[in-house]
Amino acid sequence: MGGVRTWLAILVGALLAGALGAAAQEVPLIRLGHGFAAEEQLWLMVARPDLTPSQNKKYRLKFVQFQGNADRLQAYVAGELDGGTNPGITLIFAKAQGLDIKAVASLCLEAAGKEHFQTTYMVKEDGPVKTAADLRGGTVAVVAPKSATDLWARAGILRAGLVPDRDVKIVPMAFPAIGPAVRSDKVTMGTFVEPFYSSEKVKGGLRPIFNAVEAVGYDHELLDIWFSEKFLKTHGEAVRAFLADYVAATKYYVVNRDQAKRDLVAKGFVRTPVEVYVKTADWKREPNGRIDVDSLKKLAAFMLEKLSWLEKPVNVDELVDQSYLPK
Amino acid sequence: MRRLLPIVLPGLALLAWEVTARSGSISRIVCPSLFAIARELGTFAIRSDHLTEAWISLYRALAGFAVAAVVGVPLGLALGRSPSAARLVEPLLSATYPIPKIALFPIFVFALGIGSLSKVSLVFLECLYPIVINAAQGARAVNRVVVWSARNMGASPIQILGKVVLPAAAPAVFAGFRVALPVALIVVIITEMIGSADGLGYFVMGALADLRTDRLLAAVVVTAALGWALDGLVVGSRARLIFWEQHETYFN
Repeated sequence: MGGVRTWLAILVGALLAGALGAAAQEVPLIRLGHGFAAEEQLWLMVARPDLTPSQNKKYRLKFVQFQGNADRLQAYVAGELDGGTNPGITLIFAKAQGLDIKAVASLCLEAAGKEHFQTTYMVKEDGPVKTAADLRGGTVAVVAPKSATDLWARAGILRAGLVPDRDVKIVPMAFPAIGPAVRSDKVTMGTFVEPFYSSEKVKGGLRPIFNAVEAVGYDHELLDIWFSEKFLKTHGEAVRAFLADYVAATKYYVVNRDQAKRDLVAKGFVRTPVEVYVKTADWKREPNGRIDVDSLKKLAAFMLEKLSWLEKPVNVDELVDQSYLPK
Repeated sequence: MRRLLPIVLPGLALLAWEVTARSGSISRIVCPSLFAIARELGTFAIRSDHLTEAWISLYRALAGFAVAAVVGVPLGLALGRSPSAARLVEPLLSATYPIPKIALFPIFVFALGIGSLSKVSLVFLECLYPIVINAAQGARAVNRVVVWSARNMGASPIQILGKVVLPAAAPAVFAGFRVALPVALIVVIITEMIGSADGLGYFVMGALADLRTDRLLAAVVVTAALGWALDGLVVGSRARLIFWEQHETYFN
């Protein structure tokens, strides 16, 4: 009789475990490709799951980190991602190539104002370059060809009346290498984002020439969150729940930036020393996650008309779908 | 029919590619149409800025290769003929040969700048090894009877090197060239992909950034054509210079 009871207990246990496993399986998994900078509130969703009430109930998150922009989209085309983060201009390129993705939320913007950080282009303080017009014959380091940093560099050069590639060379270089390259005259001007900007400012000897907003002339989207159209159709509710949590995490981050940054360092998302990191300036973040669609349109027009990076106009309205954001 | 045989397999592969591209079953980013690639190739051929990119890569590859040949062949011959030179240099050569020298590229950039010098230097380093090793092998394999005969006829060491060893080792030297030339092109493209403001590698990165794989593949075709032409040049030079030794194959 005891043997029968034991077998019955095992059977019930197995059925329960199976049922629980099946329930876990039913919660859709979001495979999200992300980068390594300026995505703080997104990382916070993993570092502080208490801020995201729907996580593991209405959706599960799997973060996959990438170094570059194009490789995230390559992974998506290979079927390894459901969504991700990318600069607005990369999404414009993707749309131009017919990729079935939608930008659903804003991560951060390049925006004017002392309260926000803007990607900054700096030269040696004691060098001959005092303004962008003095860059003729020089070299500018950006992080990758046809990246946002490349676009701003070209915009700043054009604004100064010079022609990129003809008057000023633009070379790709990893962010950590740019500071030493400017200081050793390997390049004339470099692109500085946080935390490299702050650490180079502390060292001194560099002077800003222009920033991303000054280069293009208006506030604009830097990074956005995107999803595949197919995933949005099949798992719309999961995306809505994810974005509701994302907006909650963003609002928390905007209000409690120092604590949030400390949490990110504690969880290993950021390796910059915490005291340096909390002091660094930050890009503008829209607490409601809304995308500045007009700025994307302006960027697309600039890419088409001034840079010839696009062969035909891109319909930005078709690229953006903000209906999944909380009302 | 026999004449058509060599193009049957490539033709079928291209047909399969085009059918797949047109079926829509695979994203055009993964499998762009051959016509799109051909259109990009056409654009490449008529745009002077694109042709300049190809020229820059070719120039860098050939410059690095040429310096490697000038340094590598005498060094290889010396290693092959002089036991003391071999004892001195070969341990260093063996120890450093497996190092992935491309990983040193960032240091080359810091030392020599982002321009051509860092790339040419790395091409030189990568090409040096196959050239030296093949030349040394060729020099070592020279029939000693031939060397003795030359010596008995009063030839000086320099004359023996120039008139006996070098001609006898020439097939191996050319084998080294055939290995090194594609390496030169590969290294140039990779270094330009990592850090450059020009060249085919930079062009590839630009195409990748805006997901233009048709453009990227056009650059690959251009690179392949350059490699094929350079290899033909080496094979042609070999046939002309080493006229006394013809390849023997199963087909002749």
